[in-house]
Amino acid sequence: MLGRGVKRKWSCLEEAEVVSEAAEDKQQDEDEDGQDGLLDPSRSDASRLQQRQLVLGLCLEKLQRYHAGVELSLRRSVLLINTLRQIQEEMRSDGVGGCDVHPDSCLLRDDFREDATVTCPGCSEGEAPPELSSQEADGSEQQKPETVSAVGYLGDLALDDIFEDIDTSMYETSDLPSAWASGPLWPLSVSLWPDEDVKLRPQSHSTAGSLQSCLMDLNELDHIMEILVKS
Amino acid sequence: MAGPGGGSSDVQWCFSQVKGAIDDDVAEADIISTVEFNHTGELLATGDKGGRVVIFQQEPESKNQPQCRGEYNVYSTFQSHEPEFDYLKSLEIEEKINKIRWLPQKNAAQFLLSTNDKTIKLWKISERDKRPEGYNLKEEDGRYRDPNTVTALRVPIFRPMDLMVEASPRRVFANAHTYHINSIAVNSDYETYLSADDLRINLWHLEITDRSFNIVDIKPANMEELTEVITAAEFHPNQCNTFVYSSSKGTIRMCDMRASALCDKHAKMFEEPEDPNNRSFFSEIISSISDVKFSHSGRYMMTRDYLSVKIWDLNMETRPVETYQVHEYLRSKLCSLYENDCIFDKFECCWNGNDSVVMTGSYNNFFRMFDRGYRQDVTLEASRENSKPRSVLKPRKVSTGGKRKKDEISVDSLDFNKKILHTAWHPLDNIIAVATTNNLYIFQEKLN
Repeated sequence: MLGRGVKRKWSCLEEAEVVSEAAEDKQQDEDEDGQDGLLDPSRSDASRLQQRQLVLGLCLEKLQRYHAGVELSLRRSVLLINTLRQIQEEMRSDGVGGCDVHPDSCLLRDDFREDATVTCPGCSEGEAPPELSSQEADGSEQQKPETVSAVGYLGDLALDDIFEDIDTSMYETSDLPSAWASGPLWPLSVSLWPDEDVKLRPQSHSTAGSLQSCLMDLNELDHIMEILVKS
Repeated sequence: MAGPGGGSSDVQWCFSQVKGAIDDDVAEADIISTVEFNHTGELLATGDKGGRVVIFQQEPESKNQPQCRGEYNVYSTFQSHEPEFDYLKSLEIEEKINKIRWLPQKNAAQFLLSTNDKTIKLWKISERDKRPEGYNLKEEDGRYRDPNTVTALRVPIFRPMDLMVEASPRRVFANAHTYHINSIAVNSDYETYLSADDLRINLWHLEITDRSFNIVDIKPANMEELTEVITAAEFHPNQCNTFVYSSSKGTIRMCDMRASALCDKHAKMFEEPEDPNNRSFFSEIISSISDVKFSHSGRYMMTRDYLSVKIWDLNMETRPVETYQVHEYLRSKLCSLYENDCIFDKFECCWNGNDSVVMTGSYNNFFRMFDRGYRQDVTLEASRENSKPRSVLKPRKVSTGGKRKKDEISVDSLDFNKKILHTAWHPLDNIIAVATTNNLYIFQEKLN
């Protein structure tokens, strides 16, 4: 992200382009024909896969980013998650890792779950997992286990019945990363979008009167907080 | 051919004024976050990240210089919003002003609505140019006199004083939004207005602050199913029952408040089918609509997504009637723009007074105008280098091919830190206000 007051001109464009170009170059080296990449479907597929890996990595990196004390933009988070899901779908339909298995069952396999926790050691410290960085750096000819685990922890997105027993009411915030920090599993705990106003009302259809009463509750809470803070 | 709001074929734009600090080191609080002319164009309001509102007033045209329309000078400055702390979530609530909307003038005072992420305020801006003098029980400095010393009575009279412009908050509309407010829009009945956040839209009466009606709610029962948010909303300029809201998926829904209390079912949905040739990982992000504006006539609406501006006929939902590419040369750079977060920038757009030209911003302090009638477009730049008084702005060009012509800029040289997100067009004349990061540029049509 562009730092405040930091001037990043075309060099920031260049960096990202270099990564995808380097990936293309690598593919070109291995291409025995040495033909022009645009005409060769296998080469454009490879560079697309490269880009996919890059975007996947960036997605996860951006979703992890956490600015203390400032709420994340819901729009940005939704767009990031949708992009992530799109990539996940594509990886599934590509039969990534050669496993033709439904992602749910992928996660349920014990050996796989072991894998997930082992390959993501830095969860509690909030470090980026080495697993991911190796995925970004290497080409698409990377071994299957790593790509399978990529699908696996993306599969985490859909599965919440495993985490049914975890009480997340304490961790409800609108800020995604702080919810993750409290959860035990990297990268995403139960609620992608912690329900912010569950404390207000369960129903979303509110009349003017019911809205007024929940506004009064909020005001009371504010008032109580002020008293507590002052004392 | 010529005339107010005329096509860009015959309009030449001149630099008029620039407001704001000159240094390159931008103070974060000075970042301009919204720009809005009032209904006559006499007043121009800006909001910034520090929660301040600055209002400029146009000087009356001088007889000495009929070539120039009046200059805009500071009329009033006030702190609209302060930073707050949400104790429940341990999060700061930014004081940044997201939107300002003027109310039409009813009496001597001016009124505007300003909003940050959570709270909307109605401000009254009034002038005082007289003060009473000659009280019997008070000295001129305000101290009370001892009644025993009063020997004669006099009638206080009003004496002129230096003009004082006062801003006072008349209403505070708070605690109605869980998510971040992105839009406010005043209804044509001038009694109600709407406020929209990421998931809900509320309808308010300007006189009533302790309750509002929820008219749109797209929050799913299970938040994990959330895939779309509201990005902007606006009332129809003539039909007080009609409003639209845009989404992060590139759709616009038009709702009729007469149909039901909760307008979750749209009356019309405007969406253009995706071009399969342009499909990429970023398709959804760049389709997210950042602004929606009705034309003054009420027949059309304009939407802005990351790469284009689209004009929709309200009678046709299947596709826009006009599409203008703002910076198509960025399409091949989407991956980089995703990496540096620029792809999430929200550009606004605006119509000129007679709906013949539309304008929007871009990067490198460029902004673009599209003439709908003459099918012409122009790229101009807001920069200190081009700021000699009344100097004509030279059209800019970005070179896309290998060969760069003289005076063209290559895509790789563009400064993505210099973005023009907010622009405004005077409702009657060819005067535009363009906000760079922390400066406000005012350009006028060249008059001979």
